[in-house]
Parts: sequence; C-alpha cells; structure tokens
Amino acid sequence: MGLQENIQKEPVSQLALREPVTAERGTTLREAIAKMREKKLGCTVVVDPDRKPIGMFTESMLTQLLAQNAVSLDHPIEQHMAEQWPWVRLTDPIADVLEAMELKNVRFLCVVDQQDRLVGLTGQKGLMEYVADHFPGQVMVQRIGGKPYPQDREGA
Amino acid sequence: MSDSQFPSPEDFQDPLENYEPKTYEDPLEQALAEETVSAIRHEPYVRIPPDTPVQAAVEKLAGLHVACLLVEQEGKLVGVFSDRDVLSRVAEEYDQLKDQPVSEVMTNNPIYVYETDSPAAALAVMAVAGYRHVPVLNLDDQLVGIVSPQRVTAFLHRYFA
Repeated sequence: MGLQENIQKEPVSQLALREPVTAERGTTLREAIAKMREKKLGCTVVVDPDRKPIGMFTESMLTQLLAQNAVSLDHPIEQHMAEQWPWVRLTDPIADVLEAMELKNVRFLCVVDQQDRLVGLTGQKGLMEYVADHFPGQVMVQRIGGKPYPQDREGA
Repeated sequence: MSDSQFPSPEDFQDPLENYEPKTYEDPLEQALAEETVSAIRHEPYVRIPPDTPVQAAVEKLAGLHVACLLVEQEGKLVGVFSDRDVLSRVAEEYDQLKDQPVSEVMTNNPIYVYETDSPAAALAVMAVAGYRHVPVLNLDDQLVGIVSPQRVTAFLHRYFA
C-alpha cells in the first residue's frame, strides 16, 4: 500500500503521539515555560478540569511576547494562549493531520478521544517520523551531517 | 577472443549490461531517493551575523514570523537561532541576555544537508536526529537555504495529488 493510501486509511492513533505538557487556568507563563523546557516540548495545552483543551501556548507565541518587550512571565497563561486551536480525534485519518498542518500552518495538533479529552499531541515531528518509518530503506540509512564525499583524492 | 594476449574491446562484457534500474512502487519513494534537496523549497531564508544582539534576533524572528534564523559569518554557517533557543536559553533571563550577541545563545554546529543530497537526507535529519530546521549548503559550503517541516510537507503533497 502506498503512503498516500495509508494516510487516508490509517488512524491518528498509528502516529507516535507525544505526551503533552498541560496547564490549567492560573498557571503562570514562567511555570509553563519551565515545564516546556524540562520536557523539551514547544507547547503547553491549557485544559479544563475534565482535561478538555481550552487553549494552546507555543514557543512561537513566547517569541512574539518577548519581542513586544512588555510581558511579565508572571502573567497567567490564559491571557496569552490561543483559544482556537485545531485538534484531531484518535480515530481520524492521518491525512487530517497533514491537512491541518498545511492549511492552518500549525506545528502541533491536540489529539482527543471521543469525549474530547486530551490524549496526546502530534504534529510535524510525528508526521515526519511516520513518513520515515514508511520508507526506512531511503530515510533510515542516510548519513546525517558531514561532507558528502572525501575532499582529497586518495592515492597519487 | 582475439589472438592478442589482451581481449579486444569487442570481447568486453559490460558487467552492468543486465543491470535493471531499481523500480519503485511509490512515486514518493522514488522522489525521496532520486531527487535532490533542491526539489524541496528552501528559500527564502534569513541570515544574521553572530554579533547580532539577542533582542534584535528575537525581534527578527517575531517580525518576520519565522521560526529559525541562520547565523552566518563570512559566508559560512556557524549556528542557528530558533524559537526553541528562545524557549530554552533566553526567555527566563531575557533582560540579562537581550544585549548579548546571539552567538552566546544560538545552537552551534547545526546539522545541515547539501543541496545535492537526496530529500530523504533532509527527512532523516528531522525524523531521526529530531531537528526541525535543516540548513542547506552548496558544495562550496555556502548557505543556500533552509528546509522546514512545512516545506517538506508541501513537497510530500506534490505526490499525494
């Protein structure tokens, strides 16, 4: 089966989902940033007590805030999060992830279950890993970094 | 065979004459193997010198709505400065760092690809090594662009039509 067919048929649950960094209303930006750094993740999903996503704060939003030079990291996260953020269900086709990333130009997507509760995070990295897994003979054998060939000829 | 102690050119048997080129079931796999990184959009890109103040670099990231700047000195790539560097090294000490040169907080020695590498090489840097932005160099080691996940996604889309 080709990749195009697979992404139409296989569900989002087949992607390697990441454990999201979450916060509740009232969490300060400083606390969220510390958690994102610790988990090496570029976003925090703001959730309600039922773990339903109510907003997203990303590292690019942080860059925008710092550039404005008028933000305190002690502000609560809900003051600066995006309230509208795309999400997919575990059972949606992987093609929906591709479409959301391209049309909405986002790096991360919330993955929710049938009750709209947050169960994971996917996005650019998960999709790249999925494609790489599909073509291991091309991708997994690549030299990473360095010169493509010796600069000096061997021998005379 | 000729009478000479060496075979004549007519007697030469090409060891590749029965070689059948690799065939691919998926056109994307063929593109990953046989195209070059140049087939992925890698421009525009933003270059800054390493002595750029952190504040100016942050403002450039924000103002241009890009996630990564290429730090270049005398035509050579020396680092990258991205949203992730802002999160990891700058945000919590911004007031102390904003007048420092970006070389103090950038990611040194980033992994790059050559424009003649296959698209699979750029994908490997993202999927295996885990770097989202991959600088592209020519064979003279001059910067010619940057490949981002959005640009790879657009490349993939060409084969999903």
